[in-house]
This record gives sequence, C-alpha cells and structure tokens, in this order.
Amino acid sequence: MSEIIAALDKVSYKYPRSSDFVLKNIDLTIRKGEFFGVIGPTGAGKTTLCLTLNGIVPQFYGGRFFGHVHVAGLDTLDHPISLMASHVGAVFDDPETQLIATSVENEIAFALENLLVSREEIMARIPRALAAVRLEGTEKKHPAELSGGQKQRLAIAAALAVQPDLLVLDEPTSQLDPVGAQEVFATVRELNKELGMTIVMASHAAEEMAEYSDRVALLSHGELAALGGPDEIYSQIERLLQNDLRPPEVASTFYLIQKKGGPIPKIPVWMGEGVETLKKVQKTCEITPPRENWTARTYGGEPLLSLKDLKHVYPDGTEALHGVSLEIREGEYVLIIGQNGAGKSTLVKHFLNLLKPTSGSVKVGGVETSQMTVSDLARRIGYVAQNPDNQIFNATVGEEVAFALKGLGYAAEEVESRTAESLAAMGLSEAREMHPLSLPKGDRARVVIAAILAMKPEIIIFDEPTTGQDYRGAKYILEISRQLHQMGKTVIVITHHLYLMPEYAERVLVMGKGTLLMDAPIREAYHAVKLLQSTFLMPPQAVLLTQELEKLKGQPLPKLLTPDELAGCFRCNHSGRIP
Amino acid sequence: MSMLKFQTVERDSFFTRLDFRPKLVMMAVITIVAFVWESPLLQVAMASLLIVAALVVGVKFSYIRLVITVMIPFYILLLLTHGFFNIDQVKALTGKSELTPMFVFPENWWLIGGGMMSWEGFLYGINAIFKTLSLVLVIPLGVFTTDVDTMIVGMVRARIPYKIAFIFSATLRFFPVLFQEIGMIIEAQRLRGLAMEKMNPIQRVRVYAKVAVPLILGAMVKSQQLEVVLQSKAFSGSPVRTYLHESEMRTVDYLLMLFFVLFFIAATVLYFVFRIGAFGGPI
Amino acid sequence: MTTPSGEEREVKFLGGASIDGAPVAYIIVLAAVVTALSFIPFSVVMASGGSFPMAQGVYSLVGWVLGPIAGAVASGIGALIGVFLAPHTAGVAPVTVYGAVVAAFAAGTMVFGKLRSKWWIIAAVIGVGSIAFFFGRALFVNGVSLKAVVLGGASQWVGVLLFCLPTRNIFARWIASKNIGMVALGVFFGTWASFAVSHVAQSAITYYMFNWPEEVWMLLAGLVPVEYVSRCLIGAVIGAGVIAGLRAIGIVKPTYATY
Repeated sequence: MSEIIAALDKVSYKYPRSSDFVLKNIDLTIRKGEFFGVIGPTGAGKTTLCLTLNGIVPQFYGGRFFGHVHVAGLDTLDHPISLMASHVGAVFDDPETQLIATSVENEIAFALENLLVSREEIMARIPRALAAVRLEGTEKKHPAELSGGQKQRLAIAAALAVQPDLLVLDEPTSQLDPVGAQEVFATVRELNKELGMTIVMASHAAEEMAEYSDRVALLSHGELAALGGPDEIYSQIERLLQNDLRPPEVASTFYLIQKKGGPIPKIPVWMGEGVETLKKVQKTCEITPPRENWTARTYGGEPLLSLKDLKHVYPDGTEALHGVSLEIREGEYVLIIGQNGAGKSTLVKHFLNLLKPTSGSVKVGGVETSQMTVSDLARRIGYVAQNPDNQIFNATVGEEVAFALKGLGYAAEEVESRTAESLAAMGLSEAREMHPLSLPKGDRARVVIAAILAMKPEIIIFDEPTTGQDYRGAKYILEISRQLHQMGKTVIVITHHLYLMPEYAERVLVMGKGTLLMDAPIREAYHAVKLLQSTFLMPPQAVLLTQELEKLKGQPLPKLLTPDELAGCFRCNHSGRIP
Repeated sequence: MSMLKFQTVERDSFFTRLDFRPKLVMMAVITIVAFVWESPLLQVAMASLLIVAALVVGVKFSYIRLVITVMIPFYILLLLTHGFFNIDQVKALTGKSELTPMFVFPENWWLIGGGMMSWEGFLYGINAIFKTLSLVLVIPLGVFTTDVDTMIVGMVRARIPYKIAFIFSATLRFFPVLFQEIGMIIEAQRLRGLAMEKMNPIQRVRVYAKVAVPLILGAMVKSQQLEVVLQSKAFSGSPVRTYLHESEMRTVDYLLMLFFVLFFIAATVLYFVFRIGAFGGPI
Repeated sequence: MTTPSGEEREVKFLGGASIDGAPVAYIIVLAAVVTALSFIPFSVVMASGGSFPMAQGVYSLVGWVLGPIAGAVASGIGALIGVFLAPHTAGVAPVTVYGAVVAAFAAGTMVFGKLRSKWWIIAAVIGVGSIAFFFGRALFVNGVSLKAVVLGGASQWVGVLLFCLPTRNIFARWIASKNIGMVALGVFFGTWASFAVSHVAQSAITYYMFNWPEEVWMLLAGLVPVEYVSRCLIGAVIGAGVIAGLRAIGIVKPTYATY
C-alpha cells in the first residue's frame, strides 16, 4: 500500500448558517498517486468535502467542525490556509472567477508570489506548469483570450505550479463544451498517470469518472453512502438512480441485460470493458430488435422558421455562418449540437432579430425578420438563455412574470390573468410573492420560463439549459420542454449533453465551424458517429454499443439510442430466469 | 468588444521602458500645471508638446483624432461662451475696463444681434480648450505606454498598499467578464419584448436601469466564489510577497523624475513671482 | 440532526482579506461593475443631447453596500480604470475619479445608528467647502448674479443641504427598511444628497478651469434638475433591486454596510 496523502477521520461540519450538518461522520483516506472521484447530487456535500482538504472549511467559513483532516501530515485546522495552499492545489468549476490575473504568466505566478517563492524560481516553474497542460506560448495572453477548456487548463497549471501533494478539482468540466471537457480530462489523467499526481475530483461526468478513477466516494446528504472502485460504485445502478446520479450508459445497458437473465457476472462501467462484455454476451443471447416504428415523425404545413443561405460576418471580420439553409415546422422538437464557436447561438440569434443576416434570408411565419422588431419577435419566440440569473430583473416572482406584459401594454386584467396562468403552469403560484433569488437554481429557471410563457410564444428556444446542472436539474428542465412540446409549441434546444436528449428530441442539427454539417432525425444523426466525432461530439455509449453489436453480429440493427432500447433487443432465455 | 485591456502602443521606445513612477510624477505635474496655467499661449504649447510626445512614443494618430473629435462640441461651447459672455472675469484678470471686440453681430440680427465676441474672452476660451486637451492627453501618454505588470509593480514600489494594487489588477481582469454579461442581460431584456421606443421616459428609465440589477447581483454571487479562489491561492492581502515582474528605477528614470520636479518648481515660481502662465501675464 | 462522532474542534474563524470590514472580493467585483457601467451611456431620457454613464447611478449604492472606505476604493478604482481604458470619455479624468470617490464615501457615511455616527461631517465639510468656493467664485470673481447661482446650482445646494441636515439619517433608515418601496425612496433621495456632495466637489475644480458665465448658469437651471431626477431614478431602480436581491441571496454583509 502506498503512502496516505489525506485522511478524514470522523469529520462532521456545519456552516454557520446551515440548519443541519453538511458533512456527517466522514471517514476516508486518499493515497499517493490515486485518482479519487467524489460523486453525489447537488447539495450532497462534494464541494464542502473538497474544501476541507485545504482548510478553507472551516477556517474561512467558520461554523462547527468535528473530527480531524490530515493532509500531507498536517492537521488542516492547526495550520493556516496559506500553508495548506502549498500542499493542496485547487481547481473550481467556473473558468471565469477562478482566474484572477491579467495574463497567463501572472496567473501561474500569483499563488507562488503569495507563498514567497523567489522570482527566479517562479520564472523556472511557469514554463514547466504550462507544458504540463499544453499551454506553451500563451504566457502574455489575457485570460479573456482563452477558450473555456484553455481557461480550466490554465487553472490547473496554476495549481500545479505550487507543486502540491494533492490536486483537488471541483466539477472542473461542468461549464465546458465537449472539446473543453475532453481537454481537461485528458490533462488530469495525464498528470495522474505520467507524473503520479494525486487527484481528488468531484464530477457529474459519469462516463469519464468510471473510466479514470481508481476509487469513488458517493456522498448523499453529507454522508459517505458508498466507497469503492468505480466498477463497484457505478455498477450499482439502483443506488445511483436513488441518489439522482446518472450511471454510465454502458453500466445501465448491461445492468438491464443482466436483469433479463444475460450471463453477466460483473457489470462493466466503461466502454472498453463494455465492448469485451458485449462480445461474450452476444454469443449466448439472441438479438431481436423489438417491432417498433423507428421512423421519425414528420411534420407538414408551412415552415414556421426558415433560413435561406444565411451568412453572418461579425464586425471584427469573423465569419460565423457560411450559408445555412433550413426549415423548422410547427410542433417540431429540434436539438442543435456543436462546439462553442460552431455557430449555434449566432444561428438562433437570427431568429430573434438580435443579429441581422450579412446575406441570405430569415423568415418567421413566412415574414422576413428584417420587417419585424425584436419585441414583435419576442411575442412569437420565447428564448430561455443559459443563466437564469441574468434574466431576473424584479424583486418578486409575480412581478418578474408580469414585467414584460406591462411593458407590452396589456390591460391590467390581462396581465393578471396571464401571470396567474403562467405561474400555475410552472407550479410557482405559491412562490408569487417571494424573491426569485431566494429560490433554488432549478426554480429560478422556471421563473424565467414562466415569464416567457406569459407572452404565449409559439416557439421556445432553450439555450444550454443543462450546463452546470446535475442530472436531476437537467431532467427537470427537459421535462418542462416536453410539456411545452406536448402543448403544441415548437421547441428548440441547444445542449452539449447528447445522452440526455433521446427521450425528447426528434430532429438534430449538427453545427460545425459555421456550417450545418447535418440535419436529420435524431436516430440517424446520433448514429453518424464519424461525423459527430469529427467535430468532437461524443455519441452516447448506447449508440456506440449498438454499432459494435452490429459489427459483431454482422446483422443490421435499428438505430438504437438508449440503454433501454439496446437491452430490449437481447433474448437471453438460456439462463432460464426470464424467458 | 476588443477593449480587454489598456490600449498599448506597439512601438518599443525609451519611454515604454521607463518605470511607472516617473510617469506618475509626470502625469501629476502636467495635470497640476495645466490646471493652474491660464495663459493661452503656454496651454497651446503644452498641449502641442503632448501631442508630439504621444505620437513619438507610438500613440496612434487615429486615437488623438478620436479625442479631438469627441471633444469638439465641448470646445465650441467653451469658445462661444467665453468669447461672448465671459466679461467680468476677463476684465478682472486683465485689469482692463473695456474688452477688445473681435467682431459684433449686426444689431438687426434676430436674437444674437449686438452680440460681441471679445479677443480676451476668445483667448480665455482657447486657454480652457487646450487645458482640457492636455489633461486628457497626459493619460494615454503615461498609461498606453506602460505594461500593466510594470504599472502594478510601480504602484507597489510607489508605496501604494498592495491590496489596492491587487484590486486594481483584479478589476482589470474581471471587467471584460461583466461587460460581456451586460450584453447578455440587455439581450435577455429585449427578448422579453420590452420595446423602449413605445414607453414614456419614466418607464424607459425604470426598464433600462434594471439591466444593472442582475449585473450587480451576479457579480456579488461571483465574489463569493472569488473569495474561496483567493484563499486557495494563499492570498491574504499581505504586502509580504514576491513579485514575478520587477521594475527598477534606472538613471534615466531618476533624471526624468528630477526634470518634472524641477519643472514644477520653476512653473510655480514663475507663476507666482513673474505671473508667467497667468491670464494676461507676460506670456 | 446527526450526532457527530468526532471530537469537536475549536474553529479559528479567519475570514478572507478585507478592507475596512468589506471583503476584497466584493470590492473587486463592484469596482468591475463601475468600470463596465462607465461605458453604458444613459442618454435615453436626455432629449437635450446630454448624457452620462450609468456608473454615476451606482457610486452611492457602492458606498451603502461596502461602507465609506471600501465603497470609495471600489468606486474610485472602477472609475480610474474606466478613465485609463478610454481617456477620451472621461472629460477631466482626475475629477471624474475624485467624484466617484466622494460620492461613495459620502453615501457610506449616511448612517442612522451609533456606528460611525460622526463620519458624515468629513463629507459635509467637503460639500460645504466646495460650495463656498464654487458659488463664491461665481458670485465674487466672475460676476454671476445671485439669482443665476441660486437657480443654476439649485439641485446641488438642495442636495448638500439634505446631506447636512438630519434628513441624511432618515434616508439611511429608509434604505435599511424592510419595505422595498421605502428602500427605493431612501436610495432616490440618498443618491441625490450624496451625489450632490460629489458634484459640488467636482464643480469646485472644473469651475476653476471653465469659469462659466451667467448665461451658462441660467441654461443649467433648466438642465441639471432633469439630470438629477433621472440619475436618482436610475439609482433608486438599481439600488432597490440590488438591495432586495442581496437580502434574498443572504450574502454576508460588510461591517459598515447601510442597507
């Protein structure tokens, strides 16, 4: 057994203003060179646990603390945070707030300067830290000139430069696009494998955590609900779901096959293992796809939104869209995917008249948008931006919903009836007199949606509603999108989380570098694996397994999307358990 | 929005290599002297020198043109008000009982008929115009030619408390984030269908000002995370720390500082003893 | 409620770096807000062609949120960076920065409790001294008539008066009120009073430079009140919204906050 780097002994903690303990009797040890994962739903205590490791909890927050935390042999309560900071490097979720300097080199130097490291030593460490995260040559750049993934890698480099014993990362990929997330995971993994850096990482990215972690701690309501290898933790599908955690799709798939009697002694939790297991299982099971109608629903009528040869060049000369044409009809549910910078937002902003085409045409309901004002369009198209807090202007939920209606000049009774109706539809009637910001984040998003619904738009656009949300939060908003779709609204969702969408979306637009790479029903789009990967989008594991299975069996399968669908094809009656 | 950081001149020169401290002295001295002087000739000379200096150290001509274009309406206002209406003050300053007419509008002109522009008022206006120009131009000259890192180290060396220097640099880091956020907030607001053009002024103020509410609240929420980040980077606000960048005062820095100190003393003596620089004085 | 099994530890609560009881992080973000708002012109209501940056509507608020010293630091640095980024937008740059500092400081000294109950005198001295210099120069050096000074400077002297009288404490009490309507009212008049102190402090300097004759004073008599009303309205809308929000989020209050 290798050396222990961090040990928590009967740790309980309560913030000064929290009513209950946020950590409850936690016992665990972290060993040198380990990749230690921390998972759990929002509010389970992951961040607090991370912050106990450098003494910020409790020395910065105060509150009541029980038990002991030792990191690198130091008790985190007996040593100042500044000393602990030289042993523990920390990386947080928001790329913007954790970079505090005006240039890349200053960012790396900042903690070192505070720790009184000499100038010569700092200058020697900067290139090493940048090389470790592959950011060489960016020394003089302002953080705002970096992409999201680069910003997070810079934060990692800055944490590494103090030469810590332990690197703690709290949801470092939750705000990133898939390319950025992949960059960060690759970097962290390399640090762990090549340099032997001990990693503690809290994350919702189930697939990656299952693959990279050595051990995983599952927190639930501040308690350590389970601790073990990823194969142990991620194969307990029911426990994960009970805790509002999303299992890796590989694990879900084989769990379901196992339930149907498939001969699976051990549920695989990452793709490589999954493929191996699949090879064995398919030999003993019969594969018969259920007789369902796999063809996509089609919509008739005049297009509600239409783009023709849309080009957009920003004033600085960046060509953001190069001739995009498409039509969206009433009642569709459309998913738009692509990396940051692929042109998704630029595209959507044309529907709303926030951007004007450089050339080409944009029509809403058959009318050129150039002949409509933003406020005309706002009544037809509701736009829910990513951060609900940027869209909350008023001091009560009721006023927020009525805000636009008053501005649009509706009569008082109309304002009142629409407000009440909209609040009821979003389940917010009780919260009417409350301040929106006193509600939890998911509810704040509902306030914004209620305010938009009050204008009775035909089309609703959700721009990255799932970024920074845990599984439950993401599902919650997507369920709202489903309700709206069922009410007959046209729904457009932009998201990076492909695996969340099969239950909801019908049609997918794949954007890349300002062009529409593909416009197809979701099954076809998700199975265009090469195309998706070419733009760094990761198809869900169920899709990859389906294709793997096709290859193994040499028989064509329908374009399956989810673990349920895939497991549904397996007939493993030889075991006798379930025919 | 490309305004991420201070505009910097591209040309590397003796001036860009200077420490920030002599530049601070320069900015302070020029500001005070320009403020006190009322002699049109000296003001024109100083502003012209500043323009030449700015161009020499690499401030773009287009920037200087921008400054002047932006200020022109104000300059016209200064010239007209002083030329036509500033009578008592210039009489007092020059000790004259009658002002010298530059031109007079014919009596029969509607409204402005009989109005007289005086030479003295006109010259006082010239003084005010070039005074403002100097006060504006001294900033690009000092700031655009200084790297932010040099500026911060210079501030610390000039005994400005480290916390203040740090707040200065961190504000520079975060302001582009907030500026971008304003854009998003304004969009979100427009997308609620709030048509400003159809509102009365009070409604308009209320709606428009509300843009700042989510901006400030969002910033305060960010500050909570920022505090944790600062802690985790061993920041305590203590001035006892090392610096990656250094800025040493060299002979040329001391000389420049000395020059401006002497210039200041000379200007003060000349002004109070010989009225050089005063309106109506010898120069 | 869980029973902790570990030994209870003595927690040395250190908090973070702060200036005069306000966390450095708060000062940074509010300074950045001031800088960002320095570039948002507020001209929609100024049919007269005049315009001022929205930042002017929040200097005082920054003082109430952070207290007089930290508020002055945040406003001052925010305004300074605005000036450094775009010198051509600032007019007389040092005066702009000075104005931001004085407005936030004056606002921060508006209190109704015992804490720092005499600090307002410093701001009052600045205000009254500046008015004496500013109006005095107009009346006795530049020969502007009393009527023009009283009318043209009405918004300023009324504001400084509101600041020096116990009305100052009433506004502070309103700002701390639970009723958000009262908060808005308190911010409206509080912005008027504290901005007036800052305005005369700036005018004392700019007037020395520009020496506006009588005609300009008469012109200002019509314009300045409109500007003041809109500036204070902006302050009230933003201030009431922000204060309600800060209370809802439950952010730890700086030691000398008024709200």
